Parts: sequence; C-alpha cells; structure tokens
Amino acid sequence: MDFELSDEQQLIIDNVRRFIREEIRPLEADLDPDAFTLRPEDDERLTQMVKDMGLYQMDVPEEYSGPGIDTVTRTLVAEEISQHRAGLYAPAYGVFGHGPQGQLYNGTDEQKEKYLWPTIRGEKSGFFGLSEPSGGSDPARAIQTKGVRDGDEWVINGSKLWNSGADTADYGIVYVRTDPTKGRQGISAFIIDTDTPGFRVERLVQVLRAHYTTELSFTDMRVPHENLLGEEGGGFALANDYLARNRIPYSAAGIGVAVNAHEIAVDWAKQRVTFGEPLASRQAIQWMLVDNEIDIRTARWACLAAADKAEKGLPFRFESSMAKLISTEGAGRVVDRCMQIMGGLGMSKDLPMERWYRELRIRRIGEGPSEVQRIVMARDLLNIGSGSR
Amino acid sequence: MRIRKEWTAWDEAIESKELPGAMGVYELADEDQKTLYIGKASGKSPFGLRGELFRHFSTSDRLASENWDHPQMGEGLPSVRGNARFYRFEVNHNYYSRWIEILTRYNEDHETLPPGNLEDPEQPPRLGRYHWKSEDAERGL
Repeated sequence: MDFELSDEQQLIIDNVRRFIREEIRPLEADLDPDAFTLRPEDDERLTQMVKDMGLYQMDVPEEYSGPGIDTVTRTLVAEEISQHRAGLYAPAYGVFGHGPQGQLYNGTDEQKEKYLWPTIRGEKSGFFGLSEPSGGSDPARAIQTKGVRDGDEWVINGSKLWNSGADTADYGIVYVRTDPTKGRQGISAFIIDTDTPGFRVERLVQVLRAHYTTELSFTDMRVPHENLLGEEGGGFALANDYLARNRIPYSAAGIGVAVNAHEIAVDWAKQRVTFGEPLASRQAIQWMLVDNEIDIRTARWACLAAADKAEKGLPFRFESSMAKLISTEGAGRVVDRCMQIMGGLGMSKDLPMERWYRELRIRRIGEGPSEVQRIVMARDLLNIGSGSR
Repeated sequence: MRIRKEWTAWDEAIESKELPGAMGVYELADEDQKTLYIGKASGKSPFGLRGELFRHFSTSDRLASENWDHPQMGEGLPSVRGNARFYRFEVNHNYYSRWIEILTRYNEDHETLPPGNLEDPEQPPRLGRYHWKSEDAERGL
C-alpha cells in the first residue's frame, strides 16, 4: 500500500480542510454548543459551495450521479470533515450531503424510482431499523419483529429501538423475522413508509450526547410485498454488508476529532505557563501528547488499510472491524488526555472537548461495540463461521 | 414527553438563588396555563435556568440589579412578555435534544409551535412526527 497522496487526493484534502476551517468553524461561535444543524441560510449557502467544489454526496456511486470518489479518498475526507465541534456526528453539519443507505442499491427498479432517487435528490430521507429492545449486537437472534405474508401484503408486528431519524424520515429499511425456523436466513428487509397505518414513534430516547434516537412500534402494519428489499430471507446479509462498509468512514471521523483536540492541546501546552515554565516543557505533558500522536497515526493507518482493501475488492471485514475498534478507542483516549492537559477549560462548554468526550464514549458502542468487533475478528482469525482474512 | 411537573406561579419577590443556575429546559404559560414558550438554558446561557426565567419575567431594572446585563442574555419575546404567569423547568445536561423533544411533542399535539417560539430568533431543527397525539392534547392542554 502506497501512503503517498496523489495530486488529486491532496487537492481534495486541501479544499476540504480550508472549507472546514474558514467556513464551518467560524459559524460555530454563534451556535449552541450542542447544535447539530446550521441556520437555514448558512446551510443553503454552504451546500451550494460544496456542490460547486464537486464534492456533494461523496458516498453516492458515479453511476447514480455521485462524484465518483474512491474509498481511500473518502476516508481521508472523513478525517478532515469532522474537525470541528459538531464534526463527529454532524460532519460539516451535513452540507456535503447524505447518500441513501447502501441497501437501496439492491432494490428493484420500482424501489429505486420511489426511494433511492428521491433520497439522492434530497427529497426523501430514510432510517435504519435493525436493533430491538431485545438486543442489537446479535440481530440474527434478537430480532423478534414478525412479518406474516397475507396475499400481496405482509402484516408486521413488533418494535424497534435506537432508530436515529425515524421521526423525521419518510421511510425506513426495517429488518423483520419472516421465518422463525431459519435463524439468520429467516430475516427479511422491508422498505416501510412512515405514514403507514400502525407505524408509531413511541418516544424519543435521550442519550449521552445532544441527540435522540427513537423507539418505534408496529401494530398490524400492512406492507405491500413489492416493498420487500432483496430476497426473502436475505435481510441479514444486506444488513451485514452495509454495517461493514459503514465502519470505515465512521472510524475515520473519530480520528478527525482526535486530530482537532490534539491540535488545541498542543497549542495550549506551548502557551500555558505553570510554575514559571510552559506546560510543553513538562515530561508528563510531553508523553501525553506523544501518546496522542501514536493513537492518531495508528488509527489513520488502520482506516486507510481497510479502505484500500475495500477499494480493491478484497475481503475487508477484519480490517474494517480493526479500524473501528482502534479509532474509536484511540480517539477517546486522545480527547481524555487533551482534557487533562487543558485543565478546567477542557471541562467547559467554551471548548468542544466536553462534547467530543461524551460523543466518543457512544462511539465505542455504536455501529457494533468494541467487543463485537473483536468477535468478528476472532471468527476470521480462527476460521470460525464465514469469511476469510 | 413534556415536562412532568406542576406549574409554579412567578413571584417577582423570588430570590434568584432559589432557581438553578444549571443548564436545562423550561416552559412558560399564561394565566390559563397554556404554554407560551418552550425554552432552554444552554451552554451559552450566562446564568443558566435562573437567568432564562428572569429574562422573561423580570424588568430590566431587576436584571440590572442582579448584574444580569450580559450581552448573551437575550431579549424577552413579545407574546411572552407581560403574558407569562407560570413556569416549570427541568435541570438537564442534554438540554438541546430535550428541548427538541418537548417542541416535537407540542408541535404534534397542536400542529404549530407555541407563540413565543414562533417569534424566537433561534429556530429548532426540522421537527419530527410521533404519528399520535398525547393525552394532554386530548384534554385541550
């Protein structure tokens, strides 16, 4: 693997870096410290700037009108784009655009017409409905929401938990047990319109960061058979592929926050004087900063290695799990050390550290906890289950 | 869900230290206990919930006497100023998402925001749907 950036990659990175530092960060001074959206006029203006840069909806494939940016470059961009206060969960406040969930590319022509294209055009949004109150890390066994075929329809009953954006979405991709005798092969994916009778947002679930997820219930919800996504019983494979692919940019975003925190801490250590000398002259501080650099570089290389394999069409499940584990745990350590270096200022809402600290704690759970990533890697390492290194 | 506390009548004689200086969310209501405004004491609110409540209820003289003429205090809102009689609050570190939750519930029940929020310079992000109305709405609250 070549670690040198091409001229094109360097140009994209430079443009994104300048955009985040000159356009996004200054706006944050006037926003609520926990905000995750921009004012509408700023959102519109900056979205247009991103479109003019040719970087809108980078995760949309070229054949679906995306800019055709490779996985390695997208990973590098994900690290840059998250380098601001809201950057971990709302990189650039969404002005780079959100592509549809990857599973929709597996849809029928009719499904693409009704859901995929409107999502790419920004007219519709969707949510991901996998986890349930019975569990999320082992969806093959935990899914209890049931679908029963009735003529040209499926009747769905059950509930889902931790569905971000379900209250504002137009549709969701929901995983349902359609054959209780078949384990993971008994799970199917459905596209469900949120205005379907029987669909209900029971509550917004508050979490550690300034964000909420939802708890949903489905009561005798009738969904047309044409809304089955992929093969009947093929839902788990669809979900698994989506989760593995999503882990790489998800991991890179954590590095971006760590880089930003580290930069602030380095500047502070150089200028803050205690007992007559700058903090940077103290070995305790130097070691913390060096450990930060080691965590950041290790995570970056792990993410790029995963992205490189994915780009080449090689199996990358092991690498994406490793990148997720290394980056989320490493970034958490970096921000923790930076807060220690910053002292009281690091705890205050005047700086973004406290927000990153809360958000990074969630990162070790979201998209598969560290322990599940280890299970995925152990399966490959020991040749247990499907897949190979 | 909305804040589950009884309304408290505003008493101008209240000592500021009786109200929390912490972050959180609050609701203001008129004499019929109809909600006029759903607000938050954010990480930028210079005096937390107590500063937020005082800015809506008190005179500028009182604010000045408390040394609360901080530029980030914000202005009172026309439909709240002079009409608000009751308040209730919740200390909550996750004031931002909780604020959105309460606004979402109100918006679903009434199909609009409270009058003070319609005037508020800070508008919330796009609010979602529950697809059902609460018991409060059924009772006309």
